[in-house]
Amino acid sequence: MKRLAWLVPVAVAAWLLPYGLDGYAIHVADVAVIFAILAVGLGLTMGVAGQINLAQVAFFGVGAYAVAILTTQAGFGFWAAAALALLIAMVFGILVGIPALRMQSHYLGIVTLGLALAFTNWVTNADIAGRAEGISDIPVPPLFGVDLSSGYLFYYVELVVFALALAFALLVTRSPLGRRLRAMRDDDLAAGALGAQIPLLRMTAFVLSGLYGGVAGVLYAGLIRFVAPESFNIANMFLLLAMVIIGGRSSILGCVVGAVALTLLREALLDASGYAQLGYGLVVVLVVVFAPRGLAGLPGQLRLLLRRRRGDGSRAQLGAFLPYEPAPSDAGGNALEVRAVTKRFTGLTALDGVSLTVPAGQIRGIVGPNGSGKTTLFNVISGFYTPTQGSVLLRGQDLTGAAPYRLSLCGVARTFQNLRLFEDLSVRENILVGLDRTPTSWIWRYPSLPWKVLGYERTLRARAGELIERFGLADVADADPRSLPYGIQRRIELARAMAMSPSLLLLDEPAAGLNGEEVRQLGEIVRSIRDSGVTVVIIEHNMGLVMSLCEQVTVLSSGRVIADGRPAEVAVHPDVVAAYLGDSMSTPSEAAVEEASR
Amino acid sequence: MQVFLQTLIGGVTFGAVYALVAMGFSIVYRTMGLVNFAHGSVVMIGAYAASTFYLATQLPFAVAIIVAITVTGLIGLIIERFLRPLENKDFTLMLIGTIGFGAVLEAGAVLIWGATGHAVPSPVATGPIDLAGIRIPTYNLVVIAVAAAATGLLALFLQRTKRGAAMQAVAMDHQAATAVGIHVGRSNAMAFAIGAGLAALAGSLIGPMLYVNPTMGGTLGIKGFAAAMLGGFGSMPGAIVGGLAFGLLDAFAAGNFQEYSELVTFLVFAVIVMIRPTGIFGEATVNRA
Repeated sequence: MKRLAWLVPVAVAAWLLPYGLDGYAIHVADVAVIFAILAVGLGLTMGVAGQINLAQVAFFGVGAYAVAILTTQAGFGFWAAAALALLIAMVFGILVGIPALRMQSHYLGIVTLGLALAFTNWVTNADIAGRAEGISDIPVPPLFGVDLSSGYLFYYVELVVFALALAFALLVTRSPLGRRLRAMRDDDLAAGALGAQIPLLRMTAFVLSGLYGGVAGVLYAGLIRFVAPESFNIANMFLLLAMVIIGGRSSILGCVVGAVALTLLREALLDASGYAQLGYGLVVVLVVVFAPRGLAGLPGQLRLLLRRRRGDGSRAQLGAFLPYEPAPSDAGGNALEVRAVTKRFTGLTALDGVSLTVPAGQIRGIVGPNGSGKTTLFNVISGFYTPTQGSVLLRGQDLTGAAPYRLSLCGVARTFQNLRLFEDLSVRENILVGLDRTPTSWIWRYPSLPWKVLGYERTLRARAGELIERFGLADVADADPRSLPYGIQRRIELARAMAMSPSLLLLDEPAAGLNGEEVRQLGEIVRSIRDSGVTVVIIEHNMGLVMSLCEQVTVLSSGRVIADGRPAEVAVHPDVVAAYLGDSMSTPSEAAVEEASR
Repeated sequence: MQVFLQTLIGGVTFGAVYALVAMGFSIVYRTMGLVNFAHGSVVMIGAYAASTFYLATQLPFAVAIIVAITVTGLIGLIIERFLRPLENKDFTLMLIGTIGFGAVLEAGAVLIWGATGHAVPSPVATGPIDLAGIRIPTYNLVVIAVAAAATGLLALFLQRTKRGAAMQAVAMDHQAATAVGIHVGRSNAMAFAIGAGLAALAGSLIGPMLYVNPTMGGTLGIKGFAAAMLGGFGSMPGAIVGGLAFGLLDAFAAGNFQEYSELVTFLVFAVIVMIRPTGIFGEATVNRA
């Protein structure tokens, strides 16, 4: 909160601004505030949640047109119409967002753009929307006798609304919801495995987009009191996009700066609008190539450049792991039961009637040659794949085919074979995403009980601090995970999985790429995790680690379980030897030998 | 029935142009994974270049088309050079970068040719052919024939020449292609130039059927893009089928819903891609939920 202290003088300046402006300048300022609200909405959807939404200007239009139609044709008062308009804009947001459940990135961009065109097409032709001429004579919004037809007084209304909109956007981005949205933007699979309900989060992003578009539309209708199709066309969508990109799409404040700057620039270049568009286009291209994070990212880029020039040579160090307090595993029973699971892909049976039972508190190894179905099995257990046949039970509860986020909230945590850390989140934030165990229905608290959200965020941060200490990550807590050595990234992923306080931990080749010392530490950590009451299933090729760590080992080959037992028994099992080395009748394949000799 | 067939002919003609636009998208997309949102604006520049040259010199339209292809090919090379640092890296950034280029091209067109646009007389003077009561404008047949010929040539290039094969290899795996000695940068640049050339061809052909103006690129680009998606992004047969399908959808929407055709077209399109995001021919590297 202290970091936001600089907002106070800015707010005071914004409050005093009208005293220094003439009638036209205040109108420009009014328009700038409206665009700033729109830009914040687009920043939330596109920058934070990563949804390429090119229909933001249509949401703006829906808000403005709804007010215009309701007041002039249905006889509503301005504020009643405004409230309905917000609702309509949010519903429109949901409708436009539905395709996001099925497609992402450019696909989504085209569909949303197409729907925005459909909207403009409708308002240009529908009688109720006044066709190409638009709707004039929208009433002046009444406000306790204050004359809002004055641009000066309307500015203060806008300022209050803008402050609320900005505060809510900042609350969202700096809280668990914003982190989940950003995690989803970086890697939706991993975010799902960490408890983020992806479909609902995407819809949330579009509802927010609709809300901000609607708010801006209502203010626009109240300010200009005239709506026409050309205010909501694709050229304005591009201008809005330019604001967000130039300002910095993942920074809300950057979006505001971009919006204000471009509105003023547009005003200054009103007589040369052709050149102005040329200018925006060029600046967007240059920003994309040279400053991908926009104006908001420039300080960070400069700092990085300076640090590189100074040659900051200190290498990040992993601290020691502080073992967990041993706790007896709860009650016993089976933590995981896989019953005759078969998974077929077109033309390939990856798992063929696999059954295994892992008692609570065990460390179970799963080994087998490459392509034997180990990771597929993990994907089935953690909900990424729905098995073709068979069922998966967690502590006796049948959770076959449950979505990853649900399994995650039920206590299943996993790591990935080829690391899936959220690259644009710091190490601490990666862990915070794991710590957040709230169901998505919690979203209602953001508008209704924001202080509870802030309180929850504080407890999460405290727990993240503990976890970072425990896993020896204090040195790198605020680093960008991509910049760290591989061994540290593996440790972060393990810490992130443990942040979920799981009852079942699935580790997919946790020792891959680690050096001898790091493998030894990994063994210790996994034992301590187990001693704290967590059941661990581990896929690993490092036989030394498997032999020393696991109490029981299951061997997969070509999608079947070929052996199951204590490590020493399994290692000499004839089928296992045959699977790794080939039987005596055939020459062993190179891959199998390499596999076995690791 | 007569109305139906008349609409069909119109739909196929526009469909042929959408197919050319979609092929231009697809060839760039599959070789370098770049979604070129500036493509529509390149089509517009192509339309302007061809019509301006044709009106100014009175040389045959075919010459004008070739001039237009050269102009846009160069523009394609410039765009590719600018965005090269982002290739195969940040998808969203590339997408936005090309939107920026689109705006630059559109603003450039306004500065050069003015905001109003101009009509282009049909380069084929003969009257429409009367076939069992259906009047088929001769120019429509020319458009369909030229589009078909261009498609054939492109297929020959991709499948029968060494450079074409190299481009296919880059499309499948750019790292492996580098490893076997293909100059990926050059191959990408060529793909971009070909894509831009196809855009110019589409723009030149559609010029006499529409009113050439700076904003035509936006709509044409989105429609070509939607056509590519309908057929299956990155697939060349998909681009052709998707283009024709979208042309027909467009024509029948215009026939039945008049001024609301765009609304209906895009709603139907949204529903279709919701049901089948990978399009008719699917896409191997589809990026969906």
